Amino acid sequence: MSYVIANQLTRHYDLSDPWIIRQINRRPKNILTAVNHVSFSIEKGEAYALVGESGSGKSTIAKMVSGLLKPSAGSIHIDGHDLNGPILDGKATHNMRQRIQMVFQSPYASLNPRWKIGNIILEPIKSFRLIADEKQQHKRVAELLDQVGLSERDVSKYPHEFSGGQRQRISIARALASQPEIIICDEPTSALDVSVQAQVLNLLKDLQKEFSLTYLFISHDLAVISTMANKIGVLKDGKLVEEADSAELFANPKHEYTKMLLSAAPNIGVYVHSERKS
Amino acid sequence: MTNPLLEIDQLSVSLQKRKQTLKAVDNLSLKIYSGEILGLVGESGAGKSMTGSAILGLIDPPLFISSGKIIFEGERIDQNTKNIRGSKISMIFQDPLVSLNPLRRIGDQLVETIITHFDVSKTQAFERAKSLLEEVGIDPSRINAYPHTFSGGMRQRVVIALALAPEPALIIADEPTTALDVSVQAQILDLLKKLAKERGTAIILITHDMGVIAETTDRVAVLYSGRLAEIGKTVDVLKDPKHPYTKGLVASTPRIDANSLLEKLFQIPGAMPDLDNIPEGCPFHPRCDFADAQCRKEQPPLFQNRSACWLSKD
Repeated sequence: MSYVIANQLTRHYDLSDPWIIRQINRRPKNILTAVNHVSFSIEKGEAYALVGESGSGKSTIAKMVSGLLKPSAGSIHIDGHDLNGPILDGKATHNMRQRIQMVFQSPYASLNPRWKIGNIILEPIKSFRLIADEKQQHKRVAELLDQVGLSERDVSKYPHEFSGGQRQRISIARALASQPEIIICDEPTSALDVSVQAQVLNLLKDLQKEFSLTYLFISHDLAVISTMANKIGVLKDGKLVEEADSAELFANPKHEYTKMLLSAAPNIGVYVHSERKS
Repeated sequence: MTNPLLEIDQLSVSLQKRKQTLKAVDNLSLKIYSGEILGLVGESGAGKSMTGSAILGLIDPPLFISSGKIIFEGERIDQNTKNIRGSKISMIFQDPLVSLNPLRRIGDQLVETIITHFDVSKTQAFERAKSLLEEVGIDPSRINAYPHTFSGGMRQRVVIALALAPEPALIIADEPTTALDVSVQAQILDLLKKLAKERGTAIILITHDMGVIAETTDRVAVLYSGRLAEIGKTVDVLKDPKHPYTKGLVASTPRIDANSLLEKLFQIPGAMPDLDNIPEGCPFHPRCDFADAQCRKEQPPLFQNRSACWLSKD
């Protein structure tokens, strides 16, 4: 059985006016379906990517898989456990949370500016009560910083002392702190410069190998996705329009929308690999 | 060869900090010809937007133009830009939501711009506004709509129509598609290409996206730490980059390719230095694999009108 199974995921948002206004104007409820019956599955150790334009529902799915948002309908099973099922009591939910971590888009907004780096990374360790001994805790934080290419001396610095790329490394270290099995990356490099983006993507690749992590990758950038994911789902208006292995999707896109995305994506490859198109 | 439309000659933009003079743009020389799209590419802090602002005379204290000339149609404009700014040279900004007035109909905003620059009546200006909207691909019947009723891509089209209203010879587009989706981005870039071709307008396209550069520009200038690293025809620069920084940029840009999943991306170690901490010699040498003693001491000039690197000397 697949490691992560999303079955008929649906999420509605109620954008209606207050009841009294609706009565006066005789307007019906205004319901937005952000995610509409989306099903996919991810094998253990695989990197699955969801791609789509703004408003396609990709971040909503990321939030539902991470447990930050409850689906309106449908279910998510992770390693056989129903993420929103009745079997999970408080403690089990806590356990589940430890196994799923998230790296957010903006490294400027996702780190508390008043916390020192050491405490930011220590928080998941404390919260999940992974290590009790204080000395061991510090050792673990140093180890995590080392894994993402930062130094032990950085523990007493604040987020503003770091560049965007370094901050994203801190986010990754925090995500790794609880020894998760799944990391959800929501546009992890879209706020970064190209040369820094390459560093962060390579780091994510290395970590995946080292800890056999499962990735759910959310991005609008097809080029980034083609270097990261082995399976890709294309989202449009909350629906999954195409799903295929990465090589297959890029070589032989089936759906019109995928073809359009591929032809619209600016690709430096037009020069580097072949003669100019026109 | 014809005279360049705009010539930037050894321009430096500086900032006085305590007793230190920090240079945001250092000794930059560029030329742009009519009907051409020139790309300015570099990472954050490379000085690309600063160069655009300098051309328009939008440099505000504490920054100032410390040396160099900007020559537009044969006249120096670095001292007084009033007559040029907005009429001969216009600008398209990154965020179309911020650059339009949300309280005024797009038609009124267009008409105002046209009346400011041309001696026409309001009805004539209105007709002109309609034809401008048509040119950028917006239904002219929406002339009385407010900006918030348009999508991001449509808004950027309105901004382009506004920039076109004074019939400029040069448009500076500062990250015009960064806030937009890929499919909309492709439409906007096509529109810019069409304008350069049909109107003969010169366009300076400022972007950090090598993909956009590859698909849109005729020539490209790569900036690093406020200095010109490499300049040349886009085909040449991307196919056969001479400067190690350009090589790194091209190699580290992910591309859509079936094989890329297996390979690791090339990465340039480190990050661009801060303004107050630019190393001596070539600013790129701490991140460069080929750096030698000369690179650490002397700043390389631009060799063969192409690459500012000691390796390109011969």
